[in-house]
Amino acid sequence: MTELNIVDHNGLFKREEYQVSREKKKAFEGCSSADEVQKTIEYSRSEEYKEKNFKREALTINPSKACQPLGAILAAVGFDGCLPYVHGSQGCVAYFRSHFNRHFKEPFAAVSDSMTEDSAVFGGQKNLIAGLKNAHAIYKPKMIAVSTTCMAEVIGDDLNAFIINARKEGSVPENFPVPFAHTPSFVGSHITGYDNMMRGMLFHLTHGITKGAETNRINIIPGFDGYTVGNIKEIKRILGLMGVEHIVLGDNSEILNTPMDGEYRIYMGGTTLDEVKDAMNSKATFSLLGDSTAKVTAETIKKDWGQKYVGDVVPLGVSGTDAFLMKVSEVTGMPIPAELEKERGQALDAIADSNYYLHGKKFAIYGDPSYVEALTDFFMELGAEPKHIVCTNGTKKWGNGLSKKLAAVDFGKKATVHHGADLWQLRSLMATEPVDFLVGNTHGKVMAKELNVPLVRIGFPIFDRHHLHRYPVFGYQGVINLLQWTVNTLMEDLDRNAGEHNYDFVR
Amino acid sequence: MNLSALRELYKEPACSHNAKKETPACPRPTPGRAAGGCSFDGAYISLVPIADCAHMVHGPASCVANTWNNRGSLSSGPSLYRTAFTSDLDNNDVVFGGEKKLFKAVKEIIEKYSPPAIFVYQTCVTAMIGDDIDALCRAVSAKTGVPVIPVDSPGFTGTKNFGNRLAGDALLNHVIGTMEPATPHPFNANLIGEFNIAGELWAVLPLFDRLGIRIICSLSGDSRYHQVAMMHRARANMMVCSRALLNVARRMEEKYGIPFFEGSFYGAANTSDAIVKIAELMGEDGLLEKAKTLCDEERKKITPALEELKTRLEGKRVLLYTGGVKSWSIVGALQELGMTVIATGTRKSTEEDKLRIRELMGDDATMISEGSPRKLLEIFNKYGADVLMAGGRNQYTALKARIPFVDVNQERHVPFTGFDGHVRLAKAVADAIENPVFKLTRKPSPFEAL
Repeated sequence: MTELNIVDHNGLFKREEYQVSREKKKAFEGCSSADEVQKTIEYSRSEEYKEKNFKREALTINPSKACQPLGAILAAVGFDGCLPYVHGSQGCVAYFRSHFNRHFKEPFAAVSDSMTEDSAVFGGQKNLIAGLKNAHAIYKPKMIAVSTTCMAEVIGDDLNAFIINARKEGSVPENFPVPFAHTPSFVGSHITGYDNMMRGMLFHLTHGITKGAETNRINIIPGFDGYTVGNIKEIKRILGLMGVEHIVLGDNSEILNTPMDGEYRIYMGGTTLDEVKDAMNSKATFSLLGDSTAKVTAETIKKDWGQKYVGDVVPLGVSGTDAFLMKVSEVTGMPIPAELEKERGQALDAIADSNYYLHGKKFAIYGDPSYVEALTDFFMELGAEPKHIVCTNGTKKWGNGLSKKLAAVDFGKKATVHHGADLWQLRSLMATEPVDFLVGNTHGKVMAKELNVPLVRIGFPIFDRHHLHRYPVFGYQGVINLLQWTVNTLMEDLDRNAGEHNYDFVR
Repeated sequence: MNLSALRELYKEPACSHNAKKETPACPRPTPGRAAGGCSFDGAYISLVPIADCAHMVHGPASCVANTWNNRGSLSSGPSLYRTAFTSDLDNNDVVFGGEKKLFKAVKEIIEKYSPPAIFVYQTCVTAMIGDDIDALCRAVSAKTGVPVIPVDSPGFTGTKNFGNRLAGDALLNHVIGTMEPATPHPFNANLIGEFNIAGELWAVLPLFDRLGIRIICSLSGDSRYHQVAMMHRARANMMVCSRALLNVARRMEEKYGIPFFEGSFYGAANTSDAIVKIAELMGEDGLLEKAKTLCDEERKKITPALEELKTRLEGKRVLLYTGGVKSWSIVGALQELGMTVIATGTRKSTEEDKLRIRELMGDDATMISEGSPRKLLEIFNKYGADVLMAGGRNQYTALKARIPFVDVNQERHVPFTGFDGHVRLAKAVADAIENPVFKLTRKPSPFEAL
């Protein structure tokens, strides 16, 4: 057999012909000398540049946030037979589908009613009427959840009226559920969109229904979570061990983890209509990522449902999981079983095994507010110290609250919280005050490489690594996963940079 | 962009969507169906590979947050194109207008990065609130001396393909022909619509180097602003893959008299044809002969590897779902390997593309104009195919249905162009079909017998 010699393009520019070709191209770049380029790069890493970088007024560079409808459709696919439908221009939805394809490595069904310049002038009612009709006929959903793009919002389309008219026109059967939410992208971020859609779901599906007798159940809302596949399974397992009955509102862990068995599914799992109705009678609703339900969903649960709402406990890290279990136990009166206590001990044991590699390590982190805060707490449990905390979609109130909290704990004193900052500013921070590792999603890989800082991939989206999203980061099992991703990333880095004298077998 | 200018673009005469219709227009999406990318997406991805420029998206942060650094279009030098710039509009801007913010933002880019040029993209929101990016770009250019190019590409104007055309229009109006090469060269050519995904441009570039043909600009993979500005000095334009930037080739022919042809670097035969055609258009016999010899040599080199792969691929059946030129050029590449293409997607193909498909696949060639995942699976099963070759959004659907899959769109990580690329393509298909996971998943699970 002849050996196939297939050149890997990663190595192309090590070959002479490509180096020549690249040199030739410089004639067209009209660029500065290599020396000048180097000087400028160094300047861009300076204190002076950082100051200017933080004085930017109008320009955002490398934002770490997505928009409302992305969150809205992730909430929507968590309901049984629900087709996410976005009223507005088509391209947005194509982006969302690609985003979820690439992160979850799964198909993702969502439709748009493809508004065009005619609709920009006359409004999008026609599109909605035709769109609902087509979507209902083609995808045969049990419900259609409508959110909006900027375009519809700038025109000021009235979803409620349009949907009523679409029903009159016979686009969908009379009692067919069409929950909706207005989700303009120029307000808030994907977590705001999740909040709006979740509220839309809960409100529309239980509107006009009277509450029954209270049960001892609790409700769980996953929030905008890139780890939903692993996390929901883990939370269900934990609640099962405690014997706590529960309803997950917006359970998208099945549809984002379908098996390879020959069948392509548009729908799988998800919270049923009956479960949503029943959820009104539960004792309390636990929102696992409070930032995703902070405003309108919390309000609906508290006011419309008259139910206890717990939105400040993220079951992440040892203390976070502790607090979650205690709260669940307090609300339901169910004890915490020995099995979970054992798992807690095992997680602590794992942390102790690795503490030598993590204690005193400085880190930078970016992501969504609830995750950033919970992860920062977790890393401080390991003995690491937060240095730069960046949250493009964090509010001022959130930023100030976290700053205050960190100032009061030993490991948090070196931290500065930059709410509203972008990743180009984070680069400046890391260049002027270096850290030992960076925690965040795929968008950090370029700066991590440039500044030679190991990137611990935790967050959404993660496009460039496989299967991380399948693991839980919640609960004591989650502690072990997070710990091993972190410590092994640092050890890989240690090995890569080690001289021969320090290339140890035992770490 | 005013409506009449927009209509003109819709009517692109070289696009045969428009050829025989009374009211010419490219296809519009159906409300309520899963749709592809928008015009903004199309414009942005067409131009973003111009690697040394800053690409500034005027709109809410998410238009760029959803797309930045997302395509495998590679650069051999500057990496500014990988950075996301946006004016990040909020509620207030929507009410009071975003022009001031944009003006400041563009100035901030110039101060921080001093790029050779800045492209400013219009999005749905800024178009609807009436921000005049044309005037604004002119003003900043005049003030700073840096070319600031407006790309009027609100998402709602249409499909991704139409966005490509809007991008081409911006280049024709503002960039092409604005600079002269420092050194003259007898054999200049452009590759239009080659995006250097996974380094596909680089897989063919050394061949041109060896022939002494200078590629002034590959539009837009691994290109530089100055290259685009000098494109008008070419003696030939090759339209590579998809009709994306067809308006550029056509108008360059009108304006500068540069002949163009459509070709492809997929498959050894197509690659040879393309290289020979470019050499021919240079108008020198010696060069033509040299090109023919080079292609023959290269084909000989890969023959043993291809022959071996053919033993694994002979008779295998492919369902191909991709767009434009690829809908026929990959057919040829696969047929060279002894495979049968059972059907090919033509959603983004033109009448001319379809003609070529018929030439290759026969008169009763199955063409798929609508490619919902379910439809594709249906056809796949009906015709008993062995492998699906399509774009990333179909990948996971296919795998669920136990179908071996090869990515031939922008998310591919292996270059399939040129002579070596043909071997890579063959190997990718053979490996995909033979991966043990498909055997495992097609067998009934052992528990079923219990």
